[in-house]
Amino acid sequence: MNLDSLLLLFFAGGALLGGVLMLIARHPMRVALALICSMLSLAGIYAMLGVHVIAVFQVLIYVGAVMVFMVYVIMLLDVRDPSFLRRYSHALVPGVVSGVLLVAVLGYAVLQAGGAVAPAAEPGTSYLIQPFSVEFLQTYWLHFELTSVLLVAAVVAAIAVIKGGRRNDG
Amino acid sequence: MNLLTVIVVLPLLGFLLNGLVGARIGKSFVSAVGCGLPILAFLAAARSLLLLQAGGGEQPLIEVAYTWATIGDRTFDIAFYFDRLSAVMALIVTGVGSLIHIYSTGYMQDDASYARYFAYLNLFLFFMLLLVLGRSLLVCFVGWEGVGLASYLLIGFWFEDPAKAAAGKKAFVTNRIGDAGFLLGMFLLYHTLGTFEMDRINAAFMGPVLPAVSASLVGILLFIGATGKSAQIPLHVWLPDAMAGPTPVSALIHAATMVTAGVYLVARLNGIYQHAPEASHVIAVVGVMTAFFAATIAIVQTDIKKVLAYSTISQLGFMFVALGVGAYGVAVFHLYTHAFFKACLFLGAGSVIHAMSGEQDIRRMGGLAKRIPITFVTFAVATAAIAGIPPLAGFFSKDEILWFAFASESGGSTLLWAVASFTALMTAFYMFRLLWLTFLTPSRMSHATEHHVHESPLSMTGVLIVLAVLSAIGGFFSIPHFLEPLLPMPVAHHELEHFEKPLVVFSVVLGLAGLAAAILVYGKGLARGDALAARFPRLHRLLSGKYFVDELYQAMLGRPLNWISDRIFLGVGDRFLIDGSLHGMVALAQRTAGRLSRVETGSLQFYVALAVAGAIGCLAWMWRHG
Amino acid sequence: MDRTQLLLGVSIALFTLGLVGVMIRRNALVMLMCMELMLNGVILSLVTFSQQTATLSGAVLVFLIFVVAAAEIGIAIPIVLLLSRQRRTLDVEAYASLKG
Repeated sequence: MNLDSLLLLFFAGGALLGGVLMLIARHPMRVALALICSMLSLAGIYAMLGVHVIAVFQVLIYVGAVMVFMVYVIMLLDVRDPSFLRRYSHALVPGVVSGVLLVAVLGYAVLQAGGAVAPAAEPGTSYLIQPFSVEFLQTYWLHFELTSVLLVAAVVAAIAVIKGGRRNDG
Repeated sequence: MNLLTVIVVLPLLGFLLNGLVGARIGKSFVSAVGCGLPILAFLAAARSLLLLQAGGGEQPLIEVAYTWATIGDRTFDIAFYFDRLSAVMALIVTGVGSLIHIYSTGYMQDDASYARYFAYLNLFLFFMLLLVLGRSLLVCFVGWEGVGLASYLLIGFWFEDPAKAAAGKKAFVTNRIGDAGFLLGMFLLYHTLGTFEMDRINAAFMGPVLPAVSASLVGILLFIGATGKSAQIPLHVWLPDAMAGPTPVSALIHAATMVTAGVYLVARLNGIYQHAPEASHVIAVVGVMTAFFAATIAIVQTDIKKVLAYSTISQLGFMFVALGVGAYGVAVFHLYTHAFFKACLFLGAGSVIHAMSGEQDIRRMGGLAKRIPITFVTFAVATAAIAGIPPLAGFFSKDEILWFAFASESGGSTLLWAVASFTALMTAFYMFRLLWLTFLTPSRMSHATEHHVHESPLSMTGVLIVLAVLSAIGGFFSIPHFLEPLLPMPVAHHELEHFEKPLVVFSVVLGLAGLAAAILVYGKGLARGDALAARFPRLHRLLSGKYFVDELYQAMLGRPLNWISDRIFLGVGDRFLIDGSLHGMVALAQRTAGRLSRVETGSLQFYVALAVAGAIGCLAWMWRHG
Repeated sequence: MDRTQLLLGVSIALFTLGLVGVMIRRNALVMLMCMELMLNGVILSLVTFSQQTATLSGAVLVFLIFVVAAAEIGIAIPIVLLLSRQRRTLDVEAYASLKG
């Protein structure tokens, strides 16, 4: 039980704790903060695995952009509506039951498979920024370009939604 | 030469022409076609008879017109068979038929549906000829059903009146009940003998080895069919109601031809009946009971046509008595003479009704003898014939029947003779009653009617004269002798032979006694008759109500069947079971849909839950099965 | 239980927690955040496998998931905003127009 394993367990526990708190917290702001915690723990896990690129992007994009946006919106809206008083929907029991079943089934599959994935002989790929980027843009440049198209589409769609919404409202 | 087919097809042609185009072309065309074709058929029948006699008279003419069906290795043909019996029947049908057609041109002159009438009349002739000329029971049955159909169409000719239409329906339904027996008999014969052809059936029964079927059973089944068609008890109820049709129709169908189909059937299949003493006995008993029963009712009837209707039933009973004691030829003889005098009587009644502008109640007639003399004379001749006054035709045939009823070794008995003789007495009585009340008593007519009384046109009176002459002299041609090679005369008890002459005298006495009684009671009018009726009120009511047979049938059969149809078949079967199951299925579908649609809650999260459940199921299943 | 199994177990748990969260929470924004949690679970398992087999494609896919998640949240939140303006509430029980 060395430091690595302990840290790994610590971050894993953090992620799980964040997830559970998300389900339990009443105020959406607290839910958002729990999610940020969870994401930061995950970034820690990625860093421990040596996948630095992903860890950085997790913090930058996911926490820095997505969750901040989320927090802004929560601050903007009036969250003291019926969903504040009664957190859980009518599908509470079926939801929990199916969640438990899903975990059971998937966990069983994972346990059966065991460590079926053959570990690599040695880390042939570096997940540091420069080698990763070079290799990324050499082999997967098309996917990269397509994602920029997707982002443009998303921007256009966002404008259209807002504009249309404005017209409906005004 | 397909002479027999020609005989049969000519009236069919008449039906098609008159039915399809007759109404458009005009009355003269319809009359020409409607009367001309039956006359041609009569000539063809006469020619066939000459051909038959030229060949010695024993060898029948057989023509196969068409192969109807071939099933496996069995063929069913439409074939025609002409022997002496067929000759007699065909000549009566076409001869008397043609005369009635000619009469109808006068009687139905003012009717709107002139063409339809002649079309149906020709159709009837076609089917009747199929019946009498057919070789196999199948063809005979087609004709049997067909004359029933034509009878229904013609009885209900003025169908706008619902009562008349109902009478037609009653005739058809009652016939059908008899036909069930006929069919069963047919099937039994086919099952045992493998053939429907009547000459072969007769040969099989007369042959050395009797077929393995109860002749009495077959005989009774076929007789049930004859009961329906020939209006014997208990299926006689349709004939009096059938008087709702035009009078020439009553003359043709319900006096001369259709109702005699039953007699023809039994006479034709005499081979079976000669070996079926029980069936023959049943026939004789039913015949004499019907004769007696109908005669008692005829005594109190007040409608001129109803008297004649019951008289027909009674005379048919006589024919069946003759058949029952084995005197087949004598029955056909009586059929032949009856055709003449009954047709004459009915047509005479039609002439009277025509003269009286539609009045049919004899209580409102009287004194017509001087005003419509030709009708009176012909009617009187025919009445005398039916009463059995010598030397008119009816005397010969009725006398032979009474003799064989008394003396035949195959079923004759004193009791049978006694009842038949009493019925003959009643026949004379009610017929002369009719004659006196209609023609000879002082007039009881209403003033308006009396003013319009006129003799009928030549087309009607001419036919009456011809038929009266035939009723007078027709008896001199001895049909039993003519048919003897085919229909052997029964053997009379040897020791009773010396009764023959006295019985003849006795039957003449009966006829005259009937005449005397009629003059005594009704000679001056209704007064004495009514007084007599007042002295026996209950008997009078029973007879006037026709023994309440119709009411009995209605109560016993009509109402229960109606109740069953209404409550059980309609109420339970149709509404509850069929409609109910359909409604039930609809309701089931609706309720199921209603319950299943509760899945559509509109709540997205619920849908997600369902999707996850499905996914879990899939995963679990995948992992269990490899 | 070795490292791989542990990480995969955590991944499954995060995914299921996110799924359950989508099903049971009533606030629309919280639902969106639970969906983000689901995505994170998946990313974890992708990273684990990628690092294990030392191939690049897993990480690339993760990178692409980041982009898609950003684009998606950029659209989803305006939609939720507009909807909430219409119905005056964030409660998803009010959005049951599909009923029946």
